[in-house]
Amino acid sequence: MLEERHDFKAWIYLLPALILLIVFTFYPIVNTFMIVFMVDYDFLYGDYAGWTLTGNIEAVIGHRQFWPAIRNTIIIAFVSVPMSVIISLFIAVWLNSIKKLQGTFQTIFFLPYVTNAIAVGLAFAVIFNRDYGLFNYLLSLFGIDPINWVAPGAEWRFSMIALLVFITWNGLAFKIMVFLSGLQSIDKQYYDAARIDSASRSRVFRKITVPLLSPMIAFITITSFIGAFKEYTAIVGMFGEQMGHRGQLMTIVGLVYEALGEPYTAGSVSLAASAAIVLFFMTLLLTVFNMWVSKKRVHY
Amino acid sequence: MSAQNNETTYDTRRQIIVKRVVRYTFVYTILTFFALLVIIPFYWMILTSLMTPDKIASPVPVMFLRFRDMQFGNYYEAMFAPEAPDFIRYMANTVLVAAISTVGTIITTILSAFAFARLNFKFKELFFLLLIATMMIPGEMFVITNFITVSRLGWVEMVGQQYHHAILAMTLPFMTSIFYIFFLRQTFKQVPDELYYAAKVDGTKDFQYLWKIMVPIARPTIITILILNAMGTWNAFIWPNLVATRPAFNLVSNGLREFATAIEFLPQEEYIGQQMAAAFVITFPILVVFFLLKKHIMRGVSRSGIKG
Amino acid sequence: METIEIRLQKLTKVFQAKNKEETVAVKDFDITIPAGKLVGLLGPSGCGKSTTLYMISGLLKPTEGRIFFGDTDVTDVAPEKRGIGLVFQNYALYPHMTVRQNIMFPLENIKMEKEKALERAYFYARLVGIDHLMNRKPVQLSGGQQQRVAIARALVKEPRVLLLDEPLSNLDARLRLQTREEIKRIQKETGITTIFVTHDQEEAMSISDEIVLMRDGVMQQKGGPQQVYDEPTNLFVAKFLGSPPINLFEGEIKDEKVIVGDAQFGRAEGRKDQEVIIGVRPEGFKIVERSSLKVKVDYVETIGRDTTLIIDKPSDPKYSKFDPEIAGPDQHENNNHVDEDVDVDEDMKRLQEEGSIEESAPEKKETFRAIVDADHRIQPGDEIKLSVKPHKMFLFDKETGELV
Repeated sequence: MLEERHDFKAWIYLLPALILLIVFTFYPIVNTFMIVFMVDYDFLYGDYAGWTLTGNIEAVIGHRQFWPAIRNTIIIAFVSVPMSVIISLFIAVWLNSIKKLQGTFQTIFFLPYVTNAIAVGLAFAVIFNRDYGLFNYLLSLFGIDPINWVAPGAEWRFSMIALLVFITWNGLAFKIMVFLSGLQSIDKQYYDAARIDSASRSRVFRKITVPLLSPMIAFITITSFIGAFKEYTAIVGMFGEQMGHRGQLMTIVGLVYEALGEPYTAGSVSLAASAAIVLFFMTLLLTVFNMWVSKKRVHY
Repeated sequence: MSAQNNETTYDTRRQIIVKRVVRYTFVYTILTFFALLVIIPFYWMILTSLMTPDKIASPVPVMFLRFRDMQFGNYYEAMFAPEAPDFIRYMANTVLVAAISTVGTIITTILSAFAFARLNFKFKELFFLLLIATMMIPGEMFVITNFITVSRLGWVEMVGQQYHHAILAMTLPFMTSIFYIFFLRQTFKQVPDELYYAAKVDGTKDFQYLWKIMVPIARPTIITILILNAMGTWNAFIWPNLVATRPAFNLVSNGLREFATAIEFLPQEEYIGQQMAAAFVITFPILVVFFLLKKHIMRGVSRSGIKG
Repeated sequence: METIEIRLQKLTKVFQAKNKEETVAVKDFDITIPAGKLVGLLGPSGCGKSTTLYMISGLLKPTEGRIFFGDTDVTDVAPEKRGIGLVFQNYALYPHMTVRQNIMFPLENIKMEKEKALERAYFYARLVGIDHLMNRKPVQLSGGQQQRVAIARALVKEPRVLLLDEPLSNLDARLRLQTREEIKRIQKETGITTIFVTHDQEEAMSISDEIVLMRDGVMQQKGGPQQVYDEPTNLFVAKFLGSPPINLFEGEIKDEKVIVGDAQFGRAEGRKDQEVIIGVRPEGFKIVERSSLKVKVDYVETIGRDTTLIIDKPSDPKYSKFDPEIAGPDQHENNNHVDEDVDVDEDMKRLQEEGSIEESAPEKKETFRAIVDADHRIQPGDEIKLSVKPHKMFLFDKETGELV
């Protein structure tokens, strides 16, 4: 009765999800892996001209934009993630220390999470406009000449900076939210005890808040890295599907969709799959690294 | 605060107040600064959407607009002008896709979360672990094959795509979500087992128990899932971009992006007002939903962070 | 309501953990619960009493043995077909429903007509005294009120058997007293055969017509509360019942005399010489003029009606150590065991945990308690002489713990 198994009944409940998962999740994992090893795969009929072990991988690595894409992806991840994690941690701590207007601030900081990256990306493009954007105007107050950030002809480094500002801005909301709820779940007793021991505020932050929050910081950092590896929509929102001037902001995922956008070109789908596999292994590496670190480092 | 000579000295009342004022001034100032950074893009969007081309092109940016200077015509042109993209249509498409995929998602999610939380079956742990593991895999892995699948089903006609094909292609792959199953299972698990036993003793069937007891108890979580899923569809870009081949079947994000691409090499200041108007039109419903259902959304998001 | 007796025949429950390890939760349980009586199923946590209750309810399936309601074998009958009402330790009220909806829920399942169901719900709400709270939600009720709602919900189907699983353990002390009287009253009024699971001996003694003591899945003794208290069949039962607990001494029978150290506790006619554990109820001592049991009073606890003396045990290095295995678990282990869960894993875990508690039960300080009349004015440090009332003294085998 209670401890009995209800195999049949359980699978009936699971059936709708299961069918969808098999078709749209499990099968694709296998299939995408297989496409990587197929020569000139035809996506509509499934024909292919034979097998290749490394042909498609070589093709993607040899792609004109592969190394720039790797470079961009890594820069985006290693700049925007630490910046947004640190900023949002501080904002969360400050937010947690006030009572009045806490809800209002919380709501404001959360806005970027719910809004459309394409729409806001366009607004950022306007702000970073060379001729009449707000950002160049602010720089001009410091005597800096107008810079072309986003328009065709923009230099890579400037486009990258503008993109990083947008991505960091976009990533704050979720992190502030999670950190704040983490802070609110920390037992007040720790803080009371620290006060009785007359610990200074910065000491409390370093010795109590950060260690107690460390599992959450680790979790957020790792998921943000994975998210940053997959950056695409924000770039399209701000710079268009060309991924910046002459594709200079191309990322790995950008390569996937660029190739998938021309599925009739021979080998294109296999190229997309290979790029996805590269992304998959980057993510996997990070996850394994994270598991290794969190075993050693997370404070409790 | 311990003094050098080991004597404890106490702050005077005045010192305490001064310290507190300094501290709070600092905290509120810095929070306000960051809040402004967050708001400026939205403000700029609205501001620009109400500007005439000459104001937009002004080298010293216009920071405020008087009401009589506001150019509401931008909204009219963005929405209704014959040569502008058909945003009304895109919104209708998006609402339809969001509704279908959300209803589908919630049904499959409730049923399978119940199985995982409440029923015993063979390979339960193994299957669940498998699901969790797939959450680690980047979505692009699925997207490629799913694109192939819907193409082979004949739903992505490159020419003359049929509406119901586009809708099917945009919804069906998203009618279940491992993350939401996991999320709802957590909530279901918190319902005490005794409730189930009590219901059993009273002769309640499993499905009745799920429907009459579990679902009402888990209502806040279910609402959160509904909202997050619907908002996700509203903001969806990549997948519809791949499978909706006719402009008329665009979702809002795709329509907006196409508009921006179309004007890229035109004199921008002529169109940026309309573009921002369109951007705000598709942002506005999300903001309304957000302010109405703030609690559900924020709670859902902060919890999803904790649970991992 | 028709009343029926419940008969358990060789009831056995074996839980199997993931690693195929088996735990016997209940073993060869044979018992008849008379119709219309309130029976307390008593034992330390993990003794199998809740498992037994769940088997009677049908939520758990016995590994072996049969369950009879009257003459009907219900062993394979589904819970909802058995005609039982079950009250859970944490009440298991549906949090999103009002009191009325909660009480009516079982009737909706059997598709009872709405009018009739409502009438029935109000009848039982009145019976337990919560008819003025019908529109509240469970969170708006006190623990005692929730408890009554749970009882009303269990009774509303007019079951033949009412099962209560630690129904008082989540209440505070005052409410507990009040509620147990209430349960007794409701049971008397309805005349329903009731089984009541508890780990609190005082609760069981005060409320039950009969108590059944269990330990490690095996029934120890059954009988009226006073009878079991007065005539324990083994050391475990003697130790489990009574507050303050029975005093235990290691001693021996020699020439038909019961000897502890230098003192003679009494006579043991017809018993052969052997080492024994001697149990004496605290009220089993008398202050007398002449006795070989000379003791020094350590502390005095005065509560007005009578006086408790805490006294050093008669010292004898030979008997300085107790065997805790035989002494059995202390009933005051104060384990609320909130998690009375029939989930197999949980049960396993709990059984194991409690096993370890038992093993490491700390040695009692070597004192004993005597409750004497408050008329004796005794100060700490006084030397007094005690004699032992023969009917308050029990002799147990040192190895088996059985009554000698």
